[in-house]
Amino acid sequence: MRILVVEDDPDLARQLKAAFSAASYTVDLAKDGEEGHFLGDTEPYDAVVLDLGLPVMDGVTVLKRWRRDGRTMPVLILTARDRWSEKVAGFDAGADDYVTKPFQMEEVLARIRALIRRASGHASAELECGGLRIDSASGRVTVDGVQVKLTAQEFRLLDYLMHHKGKIVSRTELTEHIYDQDFDRESNTIEVFVGRLRKKLGANYIATVRGLGYRLAPPGEGE
Amino acid sequence: MAARSLALRLVVGAGVWIAAALLAGGIALSTLFHDTVERSFDARLEVLLESLVAVAELDAQGQPQLSRSVGEPRFDQPYSGWYWEIAEDGKPLLRSRSLWDQELTMSDETAMTEAFRHDVVGPDNQPLRLVERQITLPGSTHRLRFGVAGETREIEAAVHSFNKTLAWSLGLLGVGLLVALLIQIRFGLQPLRRIRQSIVAVRTGRAQRLEGEFPVEIEPLSNELNVLIEHNAAVLERARTQVSNLAHALKTPLSVLTNESNAAEGPLAETVKRQTASMRQQIDHYLARARTAAAARVLGVRTEADAVAEDLRRTLERIHVDRQIRIEARVPAGLAFRGERQDLEEMLGNLADNACKWAKSRVVIAARREGSHIQFIVDDDGPGLPAAQRDAVFHRGKRLDESVPGSGHGLAIVREIAELYGGSVSLGDAPNGGLRAMLSLPATDAD
Repeated sequence: MRILVVEDDPDLARQLKAAFSAASYTVDLAKDGEEGHFLGDTEPYDAVVLDLGLPVMDGVTVLKRWRRDGRTMPVLILTARDRWSEKVAGFDAGADDYVTKPFQMEEVLARIRALIRRASGHASAELECGGLRIDSASGRVTVDGVQVKLTAQEFRLLDYLMHHKGKIVSRTELTEHIYDQDFDRESNTIEVFVGRLRKKLGANYIATVRGLGYRLAPPGEGE
Repeated sequence: MAARSLALRLVVGAGVWIAAALLAGGIALSTLFHDTVERSFDARLEVLLESLVAVAELDAQGQPQLSRSVGEPRFDQPYSGWYWEIAEDGKPLLRSRSLWDQELTMSDETAMTEAFRHDVVGPDNQPLRLVERQITLPGSTHRLRFGVAGETREIEAAVHSFNKTLAWSLGLLGVGLLVALLIQIRFGLQPLRRIRQSIVAVRTGRAQRLEGEFPVEIEPLSNELNVLIEHNAAVLERARTQVSNLAHALKTPLSVLTNESNAAEGPLAETVKRQTASMRQQIDHYLARARTAAAARVLGVRTEADAVAEDLRRTLERIHVDRQIRIEARVPAGLAFRGERQDLEEMLGNLADNACKWAKSRVVIAARREGSHIQFIVDDDGPGLPAAQRDAVFHRGKRLDESVPGSGHGLAIVREIAELYGGSVSLGDAPNGGLRAMLSLPATDAD
């Protein structure tokens, strides 16, 4: 899952990036409204953490432009503005959630997880696919009740596929959602990770759809 | 009090002026009339004197005698007030019957070329006007003095009757002018009453600024008042913006410190954690105070309650989207709170947010007018709150359940703002078992 954090305070941005990375998210940082708007407009993010009081372009303006241009990714506003009028304005601009500073990092993580889950149409924090279960909150992965150890990159890949269970996900889409903007997109490491995942999960959870990409489904289904 | 009345000043000022003008006019008219009457009286006397001279002749002894009557019957009635006399060297030679045995007090003037008029006292102390002339009759060398007198009471009577009429009509005119003046003042000061009504409308929240056309003399005043009202609102807005800026400026570094200390371990991290928590509370407390202290002082504000309820309903449904709370806003259109929109949002928002946190599935925001106030009601279908604990939640930092997120300031802020506006907030039982919050706030006057 790839997250955009738009925050002008460098320390807070660093903390958010560290916290999200630790929770196996890929994080891009933008330090002002214009850069944030550009990234959100051109890169496919699974969620955005958006400050409101930003240099160059205000957060509400950024959000309004995204929504106007049809960008539908979930956006969590993280701001010191705690008046109801500001919350109303934030939600009316198209925000999906609103957290006021000072905040608890765990709360922001939990809410981002909930937003991503809701956006992909899942009700619970625990996703399952046949005997495969994955808990986005704790990062625990089990196959038929047995825990499987995954690296951060492997987890991100599996997490994304789980959120799009049953759908064909192209290699480009996976690359865009798993690596940050500075990653060299030309390399074909996705194939390597898929290979490793298949080895660790056993059975044929991840199917290759020739010429289109990958598809996660319970073994023996839709083959 | 009366000395400060504009109308009274105008009435007194104009009244003094009118009285002086009428008095002067009356005196002038009366004098003019008196002169005219006197001149015509003198003219009559002179005509009679000429008639007397015309009918006078000398008899054989050289004594004057009348060839016929002068033609004025009052000369023949004794002491009628009308007399004539012909005298030589102060001795009367011939006199009218009316004089009887009295004589007229002729002047001692010797070199008299034309008619000489003067006032004398006649028989019975009658005030007389005497016209005399020295004539030398044909065929004689004696200079005879002819005098004709008439009683001046006639002049006085005419002037008196004229003065009476004059006083009456001038008095009537004065009263008429005063009445006209009062009407004019009432009409002229009408715009002042209008501007007062406009100011009342602003104060009671029916209008945002002074509305309507005013005369050029008053328009600057209304413009200045509008500027003052706008300035007042701008100052408040600026104060709020600065408070908001301060909040933003402090809260981000505070977030950084909190996060950093949460991630680290050791005594320093513990101290920072404790102190940042305390700072956060202090900042929340004083920012809320600064905001509420700025409220309720600005004039001419009104906030449509239904729009605020609808905004909050929409926003709260999205905040609590995961819990599928259904929020109903039943606020009739036309109800308006006499105060800042932000303040109503803060009060109603905190109450409704609290209701959403505890509700099982449904929250109702309702409002109705009660006299000069609006009564807002926020009901939830949650567990409710025992009566003994209801008062405690309005105290700062009190949180009855630490598991539900919140700063614990929300309800205390609601009470502070409400009381600042002269309103109140209390808790009770909702009809379906949950908690009911009742918020009473001043309404704008019904239009």
